[in-house]
Amino acid sequence: MSQLEIRDLHARVEGQDILRGVSITLRPGEIHAMMGRNGSGKSTLAYVIAGHPHYEVTEGDILLDGESILEMEPNERCQAGIFLAFQYPVSVPGVSVANFLRTAVSNVRGFTKEAHLASQEGGVVGSHLMPMRKFRRELTAKMKEFQVDSSFARRYLNEGFSGGEKKRTEVLQMAMLEPRFSILDESDSGLDIDALKVVADGINKLATEDRGFLLITHYQRILNYIKPDYVSIFHDGRIVMTGGPEVALELEEKGYNWVEEQFGPAELAA
Amino acid sequence: MLDDHTQVLDGTSVPAVNGTDPARDALLARSEARGEGAWMRRFREQAWAAAKAMPWPSLTDEAWRRTRLTGLDPDNFSYSPTHKGRVGEEALSPLLQGELNEMESAATLIFEDGLMRYRTGVAALEEQGIIFKPLDLATREHEELLREYFMTRVVPVETDVFTARHAALWDSGTLIHVPRNTRVELPLQIINWQGEGQAGHHHTLVVAEEGAEVTVMDDLLGARRGLQNSVIEIVQEPGSQVRYMHLQDLDMSAWNLMHGRAHLERDADLRWIQVSWGSMLTKAFLDLVLRGPGGHADLLGIYFPTGRQHIDHQTLQLHEAPHCFSDLLFNGALKDRARSVYMGSIRVTPEAQQTDAFQRNGNLLLDSSTRADSIPGLEIEANDVRCTHAATAAQVEDEYVFYLMARGLSRPQAERLIVQGFFQAVLERVPVESVVHKLEQVIERKIGG
Ligand SMILES: Nc1ncnc2c1ncn2[C@@H]1O[C@H](COP(=O)(O)OP(=O)(O)O)[C@@H](O)[C@H]1O
Ligand SMILES: [Mg+2]
Repeated sequence: MSQLEIRDLHARVEGQDILRGVSITLRPGEIHAMMGRNGSGKSTLAYVIAGHPHYEVTEGDILLDGESILEMEPNERCQAGIFLAFQYPVSVPGVSVANFLRTAVSNVRGFTKEAHLASQEGGVVGSHLMPMRKFRRELTAKMKEFQVDSSFARRYLNEGFSGGEKKRTEVLQMAMLEPRFSILDESDSGLDIDALKVVADGINKLATEDRGFLLITHYQRILNYIKPDYVSIFHDGRIVMTGGPEVALELEEKGYNWVEEQFGPAELAA
Repeated sequence: MLDDHTQVLDGTSVPAVNGTDPARDALLARSEARGEGAWMRRFREQAWAAAKAMPWPSLTDEAWRRTRLTGLDPDNFSYSPTHKGRVGEEALSPLLQGELNEMESAATLIFEDGLMRYRTGVAALEEQGIIFKPLDLATREHEELLREYFMTRVVPVETDVFTARHAALWDSGTLIHVPRNTRVELPLQIINWQGEGQAGHHHTLVVAEEGAEVTVMDDLLGARRGLQNSVIEIVQEPGSQVRYMHLQDLDMSAWNLMHGRAHLERDADLRWIQVSWGSMLTKAFLDLVLRGPGGHADLLGIYFPTGRQHIDHQTLQLHEAPHCFSDLLFNGALKDRARSVYMGSIRVTPEAQQTDAFQRNGNLLLDSSTRADSIPGLEIEANDVRCTHAATAAQVEDEYVFYLMARGLSRPQAERLIVQGFFQAVLERVPVESVVHKLEQVIERKIGG
């Protein structure tokens, strides 16, 4: 069965140990919410799964369908079906959303293999890119579906985007890339309630039976719109508690200080 | 006919006329073989004498402090050995055919080894009274025009030792003259191919009369282990509009020196695109002179040195008249131990009130082995002006590359997009679509390699 298993993962950055034995398994059709304080290592976990070169895995493994992905480049992981929605998407001046996404989608869908179809689709034979017309049609439809204004296709990636626009564009990219496992790193943070609903709505649309999600969040708020199957509490570089949606409510009620009382003070600086 | 000579023209083997200066005798012999007007031989002779009397750049000269010509012996190159005569398109090398067909143009002149090999579209222009012809021919047919403009006022012979040598030695050269209120819809294209080990002295003289409009593409190729010492002169009468694109894609082993200067009279409008891809070393001087009120000039440059390339641009925005606007943007990316220098100066004379002059130089370093120097300068003598300059240098950050790779792009694809994005601010102001496409291809090639 398809799954993304994180097994006793330890990782460090700049000589500092951040992850201290994280174990969690994502399965298709399941949403796993992960809540934790700022500085507890949530983004580090997300980066390590996506293959950020600055982070070093010192122990444990990440297995996709039983195979380790630790030696894979970030683009290979993406092509294998893993997607990370960034907490802080960077802006890339001069690179349009459409231009970038066409390359990304073509790679992920293995368009080289379909090169022989290019002529039928009105593309360039031998080109590694998805035919322009086909791509345009799909992008326009998805932009509509995920409530990204069509003018964003021509805009430069994340440049001058508001917080909400960035997060919506991340969801749009996820929709275009059709990953099997998505790590959403605080896709809800910094959004007002309307923007939050749009993002949550997008995620719910994508949360089909064949896809698994790790929903990283700081606040319980987004869980009013997205129903998780599991909720874990992340503390000081590891998971300290896992349960059903009730865990989120308990945390909301008692606050993060309660976690600290239960599991000891964080050694990591917040 | 001029184009059909088949003499052997080897600078070293032509016997000296009076035995004192074989190089001079050789250049005069070449001039004669090209069928140039006799006045041009005197012009060349005087320029040669001037060049010999002028000093080589010294290490204390500010312009040459960061760009040394160590190892350059300008007399150690050969000159267009054989005049092969004119050919049809099918006889052009595949490279030149590609260059020819890639662009949509009103007319094209192709030079090989300093002499015109092919031309197309010129007759239709002549009906409109537009001159677009090789300089050697023009020395006979348009002597007056050349006597007035050729290295007299825009880039005078004695600007420096290289311009003086150029005046004596020029070979592939073009005269473009667009009469009053005449508009050339499509670009005029000049393609220059220079063979191995040769010295080339490429000249482009554009004269746009009042209200004239023209777009010119100058394509420089070849010069493996050679020297190219070019001069570009643009004269704009009131209200004229010129789009000039200099696409330097010389061999990576070439020495490349250039002096380009434009004179803008009242309400003239210029956009100059300077592209520096090739050469081992480039030192390019680019000057805008705003001589009449209401002038508008954009000077946009891109460069992308890789390997051990050294690319140096030195610009001047000289405002001599009020109410003029000049905007300069030079963006460069550097990779693999490449080095770039940008020196910019905005000079505003006391009478040039209400000047708007802007200057920006951005450098993107693809790795830490590269070095980009940026030296801006302002010299403002008027009090009611708006002048700014800015220089930025940035690394291609891992965070950008990681973000794009996390979306499935390979590292070269990610770097290519970042560099293309960085050049976009210039590319979107390139007036010819096919040129933009071509520039994007070169960027791709440079990143891949
Ligand atoms: N690139 C880095 N260099 C140094 N320290 C880092 C880096 N990334 C994260 N950290 C440290 O790791 C810890 C966890 O950070 P992070 O994973 O961003 O937490 P969270 O996402 O839960 O807020 C923090 O103490 C942070 O300072
Ligand atoms: Mg975080």
